[in-house]
Amino acid sequence: MTGYEKLLEVREIHKVYGDGQISTKALNSITFDVLRGEFLGIMGASGSGKTTLLNCIATMIRPTSGSISLNGRNITSFKGTDLARYRGKKIGYLFQEFELLDNLTAGENISLPLSIHGESAAIRKERLKKLTRQLDIEDILDKFPSQLSGGQKQRVAAARALICSPDIVLADEPTGALDTKNSKVLMEKLSSINQDDGASILMVTHDANAASFCSRILFLQDGAIFNELRKMSPEEDRSSFYERILSVMALLGGGSANVL
Amino acid sequence: MFFEHIKRNGRSMRKDNGVYFSSIIISIVAFYVILSLGDQDVLRYLKTIESDAVSKLLALIPVLYVFSLFLLFFLVYFTNRYQMQRRSHEFGMYLMLGMKRTTLFSMIMGETLWNCFIALLAGIPLAVILTELIGLLTSRLIGFGIIGHEFSVSWTGVAATICGTLAVQLAAVFILSIKTAIKQPFYLLQEREVKAQKLPTVRSGRVSLIFGIILLASAYFAGVTLMRMIELIFIIFPSVLILGVIGTCLLFRGLGSIIGVSVRRRSADAAGLSVFTARQLQENVMHQWGSLAVSSLLILMAIICFVYGISGSYSRNSSEARTVDFTIRGEKEKIESMLSETDGIGQLISSQYEMKIGMLDSDISWHTLIEKLSQKEGSQARDSLIRDFSDRGRMYVISLSSYNALLDSIGEPTIELNLDEAAMFSHSVFAYTHEVLSDILSSGQRFIFGEKEFSLKTELYTSNVVADRSITLAYALIVPDEFFDKYAHDSSNNGYYNMMLSQDIVDNKGLMQAMNDVSEILSEKGFEFESYLASMGRQLFYMVAGSYTTFYLGIMFLIIANTVLGVKFLMQQQTTKHRYAVASAIGAGTSELERSGRSQIRWYFGLTILVALISSVFGLWSLIGSFMLSLSSLGVNIFHIVAIMIGAAAFFIAFEMVYIKVICRKSDSLIRKLSDIG
Ligand SMILES: Nc1ncnc2c1ncn2[C@@H]1O[C@H](COP(=O)(O)OP(=O)(O)OP(=O)(O)O)[C@@H](O)[C@H]1O
Ligand SMILES: [Mg+2]
Repeated sequence: MTGYEKLLEVREIHKVYGDGQISTKALNSITFDVLRGEFLGIMGASGSGKTTLLNCIATMIRPTSGSISLNGRNITSFKGTDLARYRGKKIGYLFQEFELLDNLTAGENISLPLSIHGESAAIRKERLKKLTRQLDIEDILDKFPSQLSGGQKQRVAAARALICSPDIVLADEPTGALDTKNSKVLMEKLSSINQDDGASILMVTHDANAASFCSRILFLQDGAIFNELRKMSPEEDRSSFYERILSVMALLGGGSANVL
Repeated sequence: MFFEHIKRNGRSMRKDNGVYFSSIIISIVAFYVILSLGDQDVLRYLKTIESDAVSKLLALIPVLYVFSLFLLFFLVYFTNRYQMQRRSHEFGMYLMLGMKRTTLFSMIMGETLWNCFIALLAGIPLAVILTELIGLLTSRLIGFGIIGHEFSVSWTGVAATICGTLAVQLAAVFILSIKTAIKQPFYLLQEREVKAQKLPTVRSGRVSLIFGIILLASAYFAGVTLMRMIELIFIIFPSVLILGVIGTCLLFRGLGSIIGVSVRRRSADAAGLSVFTARQLQENVMHQWGSLAVSSLLILMAIICFVYGISGSYSRNSSEARTVDFTIRGEKEKIESMLSETDGIGQLISSQYEMKIGMLDSDISWHTLIEKLSQKEGSQARDSLIRDFSDRGRMYVISLSSYNALLDSIGEPTIELNLDEAAMFSHSVFAYTHEVLSDILSSGQRFIFGEKEFSLKTELYTSNVVADRSITLAYALIVPDEFFDKYAHDSSNNGYYNMMLSQDIVDNKGLMQAMNDVSEILSEKGFEFESYLASMGRQLFYMVAGSYTTFYLGIMFLIIANTVLGVKFLMQQQTTKHRYAVASAIGAGTSELERSGRSQIRWYFGLTILVALISSVFGLWSLIGSFMLSLSSLGVNIFHIVAIMIGAAAFFIAFEMVYIKVICRKSDSLIRKLSDIG
């Protein structure tokens, strides 16, 4: 299941916002790999460039220099239809604020990527059934987002991110808008989908609790990788991993804001 | 600084709301065009010959103007309300940053004034140029000699346009900005959120839809069948209107939930963005059914205005043929001596004759004719003929020699009558009975006068006997001169003297110019006369009045309806633009999203126009059948009407296509901006 096959290769990524004197160096030569089936967490202080990194991988913004390859194909050079096909089909994106389309029902939201990518109705039905069972949202498919709780919304959003069986799911603080209980439910679901189906997940988070579900964590500081933590699976349990995460967070200079 | 701020905000408003802003400019142009009507050359000329009717029309214009200002007010109010809601977060920030309420208020008013100023700056010169072109065109069509054309600016028109536009804008924004400025900053800051999707209450939607359809159908039915009952028109016409308006509103209210149901049913096998498109459309329809209904009704009114205006002015234009150029009333000797003067009018004239018209001194019996008529199948024309001939004992008669002189002067074959014969004449105003009457006459009719039987010629004569349009003989008999002299009783000693202009003069100077010249000479000499000029003037007047007012209203309706639709759509799109960004993030390409936006627009406009078109078919049908447009009475060729309808439809379609295209462009550019990656 978790071979050592490289899925995502990030090489020497730089990102500079703006130009001239008011430019901000958000990413400074970041290099790392994501293996197939990995659940990788990214942590760091506010403004350290986490969202920027994720958005570069999601092709929402272009890096100033460097390359990002998914399955050996350089995605920074994608344009037009290639780009659209990459989004949704090769990657699934999970937003902090869910970003469900509030005028579509939950079910319609989930199957939208499939119909955009022209999957047949039969395949759609089958995948929808499986995912909604895994995420425990079978009963709310006909409801509109405004009728759902935050946790339900995020699970619907997760189903939408996963429906195309993307190579990788990118999640930017998926638990950021959820309470502890709902965060835990979501993380358990994501974690089990990661383990059972081998879905690769790249998740940005502030929350050490959520991060403890990951198999590896990268710490960013000022746009560069500062530290890396790896869960010693399977022998290490979640609570001891959690302790280690907290200690690294304390190490991050002035990172007290991130210590819960 | 403050002024700079106002200018910058004003500029961004014009950019964001280009469609709304251009509509304001178009309305300004339309306002000026209608307001300056009184100063237009044609109207100034018509005032000299048709002063009553012209002043009635000119009195109507302020009413039209106020009415259209009223319409504009709603457009301005609703557009700005939406605009303010969108900016309320910004306003809240200003207040939190310590701006005074009065400053905020004057800032909003200042922006409005500034934009209004720019719209006027663009609109007024455009309007002046346009009226100039219209003026040139009409005087070209009619002849420069008569109307003449000089560049003129109607200053009262300019002033009224400026005042009206400013008043409407300021009033609307005043109300809105008061409402905004008195709110606590907290509530302003909160208002940014988009209204959450309401649960589509399918049942109430369905009920609305069904009731809407039932009401509309009954309005159509009542319009087409019951409106013919002229006696009940004052009950039926308002009921049809009310049924139609309520029906349209309910229909649009229910439409949204039906779209929802069909989306649900088909969402399993929908491809691409079709679910997204349909849901967006559904939301638009559900949130804005009121605007859709009002726009649809306005478009309906515009269509009716166009068709009614075109066919109205067209049919009046064709109603009176030229048979006599001048009719002078007066003593025979005086007139004849004037005509024989060497340097007088005599040379300008190709024919002159006395038109002898009189009334019989005893009754005629029309028994057999009425009997024949009653055997014909029932029609409005037949009934009115029976009525007319039953109580028409004493008839007007025209002497044969006069009528032949008339026929001769217009180059038609003359009539020959034996002593026991007569011919039937009827004025072209009564054309709607002519078909039935000719049919009856062609089988050979008789009447009894003074115990003697006379036979009627099988042909009906309709060439007008005098230029005087106040004399319209519904039915008269053309009789041999001996008969006329014996039985006719001349009501006055003043006879009618007819003249026809010589063709050379007409060719040389143009008909209107030649008539104008002769009129001047006649009035100089103190004669009492009527000319065909007045009749032409009247036609011209109806054309001008009919086409100006109906076109003006039609255009106003169309502009308002389309702007309401377009602006509402674009604003809704603007407020929900993050959805496009999300759709793009989960894999929808820019071109797909653009296509989705365009198809939403087409449906949005299409639904509104479709309902208006269906209603207009029934609306026109019922108008044709009832009191307003009676085709047969106007003697209009049906092919012309069809051609006119096609022309109007082509104009309408072109207008809508342009509008939809503009809105699509706007939507495209919004979507492209969203899915740009930096
Ligand atoms: N669109 C932008 N234009 C200019 N600078 C930006 C932009 N987006 C982010 N930045 C800057 O880039 C840096 C990294 O921002 P980023 O959003 O990636 O941080 P983050 O790690 O996600 O922070 P947080 O934890 O608060 O979400 C910050 O200094 C930020 O000010
Ligand atoms: Mg972030």
